[in-house]
Amino acid sequence: MSAIDVYEPFHRGLPPLKKYAKQLFGRRAFISEFAKSELRRQNFGSPLGQIWLVLNPLLLSAVYFLLIIIISGQTDSARYAHLTAGLFVFYLITNSITAGAKSITAGGRLILNSAFPRIMLPIAASVVALFKFIPTLIVLFAIHLILGLPITYALFWAIPLIFIFYMFSLACAILFSCINVYFRDTQNLLPYLTRTLLYLSPVLYESSALTEKLSILKTINPLYPMLDSWSRVMVKGELPFATDVFQSLIWTLALLAISSYLFLSREREFAVRI
Amino acid sequence: MSSLSASNLNSHNRGEVAVSIKDLNVVYKTTLEKRPTLKNRLLQFSSGKKQTRIVNAVQDFNLDISYGSVLGVVGANGAGKSTLMRSISGILPPTSGRIELYGSVSTLLALGVGFSQEMTGRDNVILGGLAAGLSRAEIDNKFDEIIDFAELREVIDAPMRTYSSGMYARLAFAVAVTVEPDILIIDEALSTGDAHFKMKSLNRVKDLRGHNRALILVSHALATIEEVCNEVIWLNKGKLIQKGDPVSVVAAYKKFLEVGSSPMIDEDV
Repeated sequence: MSAIDVYEPFHRGLPPLKKYAKQLFGRRAFISEFAKSELRRQNFGSPLGQIWLVLNPLLLSAVYFLLIIIISGQTDSARYAHLTAGLFVFYLITNSITAGAKSITAGGRLILNSAFPRIMLPIAASVVALFKFIPTLIVLFAIHLILGLPITYALFWAIPLIFIFYMFSLACAILFSCINVYFRDTQNLLPYLTRTLLYLSPVLYESSALTEKLSILKTINPLYPMLDSWSRVMVKGELPFATDVFQSLIWTLALLAISSYLFLSREREFAVRI
Repeated sequence: MSSLSASNLNSHNRGEVAVSIKDLNVVYKTTLEKRPTLKNRLLQFSSGKKQTRIVNAVQDFNLDISYGSVLGVVGANGAGKSTLMRSISGILPPTSGRIELYGSVSTLLALGVGFSQEMTGRDNVILGGLAAGLSRAEIDNKFDEIIDFAELREVIDAPMRTYSSGMYARLAFAVAVTVEPDILIIDEALSTGDAHFKMKSLNRVKDLRGHNRALILVSHALATIEEVCNEVIWLNKGKLIQKGDPVSVVAAYKKFLEVGSSPMIDEDV
């Protein structure tokens, strides 16, 4: 009789990756069910909850637009579209980071009691953030039409860009879920971190407004080329720069590889750290 | 909520090996703080204090568990019982050695199990089952049986934060035993709940014993161990001290508890 399951020491601190991937794929139903349960719990299953899902970032963009009017006196519609498009996609990332950070520590009881690929918890958290983002695309489309912004074939670039944004937010969720196991006050630092990231990214201002002195941000901030490409496509109806897309991809893949390695090499310890 | 490592349930013959553990060692590093924070880590780093400790939780452990047997596990707090159960369940893989499982495993390891306190009991049962590898159809088929056994039909759609600790334990126990595992691991769970549920869960364990499953029961309730188990192991500081029939092992363990030492632990005596 052959064994159904065999547990042996991890090789170089990593679980057997083929078996791990198979188990993860076999539990994909958990991820969709978790997302549904979580959205239901947060009342996003009801019509009023869905309205709030859209209203919240819309109100935020209105507040920031007011700030821009006061500071720079600019009131053009393209500026508002840039701000709204940037904020909506920025919230995909911050929601993913915030929910991802809590995913392992909040799933403590399940982790203590069940053997499953732990990485599915931050993945599920990032899927919830994606589900919250999707309705805002309808609002963006409505704003696009109302403001008479150009409708071109370049708008199709939104699809690969959303994919890149999602993969980046997933990488962030995996990274912060792991860090939060070791340092539980990470969650307290996140509002400051995300707010700083917002100010260092071309959301409240356009990329062209950046002075030469601060152009280093374009290189060191992974969100910079992503958000700049997003604004070109969604507001101006122009194709993104190939270098920006390439840079975004490299950042995303690198962060995904680093965060996944960090997570997988540490996840054996989670059951004794929670 | 519970863990089921494989969904293909087989019939097994009494005496067939269910779990084989060879030269098992489990070592892990843990933090000295209950809630580790970056702030404390920085403060400790500057003061040069030690921040983590290495735990040799299970050492040179060998054991075969057969179908049809109920293995009792006794030992003082910190003996390595829970770590051993987590290793058998695949939750905490070995540092060295090998564990082979010849059937599906369902675990009931932590008191007050449940995935999310904010989610309903229903969502917790479904998510716990999916995480453990069951399909949605398998969970749906067993759902009524689970909530009837737990006697929680009226509150199953309430958030689990509104449940008492006894209700938590009842739901967790119901899931663990209802999924019909080949190998069932229960850590302390029989000692929770009211007298009525304790009796009900004990009867369920006895019932499972008759179905040629392999059961591993970790408990400080020595009378229950003696009543239910047909073999008992005694662990101390991660080492297997004694293995044998329940009466003799429990008697030796009781003696150790009374005098604080034992010829088997003080091996030079």
